[in-house]
Amino acid sequence: MEHVKGLLAKVGIDPERLEMFNLSAAMGPRWAEMCNEFTEKIRGLGPSPIWLATYRLKRNIKE
Amino acid sequence: MITGEQKPFEEIWNMVKDFKKVLVFGCNTCVAICHAGGSKEAEILASLLRMRAAQEGAAIEINHAAVERHCEPEFFQPGMDNVRTYDLILSTACGVGVNLLSEHIGDIPVFPAINTEFFGAVPRSGEFTELCAGCGNCILHLTGGICPIARCSKSLLNGPCGGTNNGSCEVSPDIKCAWVQIYDRLKQLNRLDLMNEIVDAKDWSKAQGPRNFKVKLLEEIKK
Amino acid sequence: MSFREILDSGKFTVTAEIGPPKGTDIKEMYHHIEVLKGKIDVANVTDNQSAVMRISSLAVCKIVLDNGMEPILQMTCRDRNRIGLQADLLGASVLGIHNVLCLTGDHVHAGDHKQAKSVYDVESVQLLKIVEGMNIGRDMSGNEMKGATDFYAGAVVTPEANPLEPQLVKFEKKVKAGAKFFQTQAIYDMEKFKNFMAYARKFPVKMLAGIVVLKSAGMANFMNKNVPGITVPQELIEELKAAGKEKALDTGIDIAARHIRQLNDEKICDGVHIMAIGMEDKVPMIMERAGLR
Repeated sequence: MEHVKGLLAKVGIDPERLEMFNLSAAMGPRWAEMCNEFTEKIRGLGPSPIWLATYRLKRNIKE
Repeated sequence: MITGEQKPFEEIWNMVKDFKKVLVFGCNTCVAICHAGGSKEAEILASLLRMRAAQEGAAIEINHAAVERHCEPEFFQPGMDNVRTYDLILSTACGVGVNLLSEHIGDIPVFPAINTEFFGAVPRSGEFTELCAGCGNCILHLTGGICPIARCSKSLLNGPCGGTNNGSCEVSPDIKCAWVQIYDRLKQLNRLDLMNEIVDAKDWSKAQGPRNFKVKLLEEIKK
Repeated sequence: MSFREILDSGKFTVTAEIGPPKGTDIKEMYHHIEVLKGKIDVANVTDNQSAVMRISSLAVCKIVLDNGMEPILQMTCRDRNRIGLQADLLGASVLGIHNVLCLTGDHVHAGDHKQAKSVYDVESVQLLKIVEGMNIGRDMSGNEMKGATDFYAGAVVTPEANPLEPQLVKFEKKVKAGAKFFQTQAIYDMEKFKNFMAYARKFPVKMLAGIVVLKSAGMANFMNKNVPGITVPQELIEELKAAGKEKALDTGIDIAARHIRQLNDEKICDGVHIMAIGMEDKVPMIMERAGLR
């Protein structure tokens, strides 16, 4: 995980955008909780630089 | 085996950024064991380059591929039609591979993505150490199987220098003094007499490139 | 009398180091030469010492010679291959420099050009053999030369190397390869050095004990920790500490003088090699306190 976070940082992507959670198949509620939390976190961080770049490219928008 | 480490990402990016269609081409033998240039590393590198290209707004098509060896043409020849559709090959093979592919590919550049370092042993997984320098004139029978050319910082042939330091080298405490190791090993083998003879200056002509050789037997069979 | 003749005469010989500067301003070096002239027997000129780039040893040897002192040319194998070394040996010879100290040389790692490619085409033992051959008119490849050299060759030894045995094997090889005089790494423990000399006396070589003046207890501790083959005994460190900051250097000079006096009085070795390292001015004072000249 540390390695991959490092790789992401190298190409200008916030390593916070990647996380790994361990849990068993019986932990449904916790799973939902994590998904919500992580979704909120990513929303807070805003669109990723890759998404933005691709979006601009598609719409042919100059900065 | 040949060891190498991936170049800094910025250096690689600066090499590829002005091309349009790039193949990150891995080699699945030595450099794969170093976690530097196998198919997995080629794939990750291609992916990182795509992410960088997207952010820079650079329209580069970046793919990856790998073959078992880059040091023998028969391994990469079969896929050359595909390889030749690119306008840059970013090779993650060792320097031997980069040279040889360059020689065979025609008018497409082949750039190195790794720094080739030495040929060495793998004492523990993920750890590499230089034990032989390929100097072309082996004297391991005289030095207890420990090579002073590769393992002494000064490649000394007649014993330790004044920088020998409690078993370490003056260059770094992490480097063992090869001559202390040789002394201990010869003592263990009861062959310390081997250290008393003055070893003449080395014939370095055999250690200097460009070097090549042919197997005589195969030559004769061909005839 | 030449260096060789002085040593052969049995006189207690004093050599001191001249460190060529980095740059073309040699006023200070001239001053050192003036201070040492007439006091020491021979000036020992270092060769890019500690792998730090400076004026070449050969050029400074010539300056020393022109200023009325006999030089010893230090020659390391770090920066020149066998062709360069032999060419410089011939050059030294025709300039009138006839003493050479053959060294392997500190690794470039120690110096100020860490990215340099080290040479080490040959090393100290082999360089001694080269000198031996040139003295009988042959170069290293066996070619006959027009005119032979006449070098008095020396080498170094570290009497307190750890481990010592492999170092002594190399010392014996240097003797076999033609070293006639030796200078040692700095020594501070007279009893240990006497033991070493009991061994070294078995060989037909002259031994100059290395003397480095201790400037402070801090310097002594630093050397114990960082310089291979140097051990300053605890009692000397205590002596420097007791002297206090003001008097430490003076005490260091006293210690050096005391050691030199003992080496001379007890005929332990054939002379000393004083490495002043920037304190060349103090060498006459050390000698005076040691009862020399």
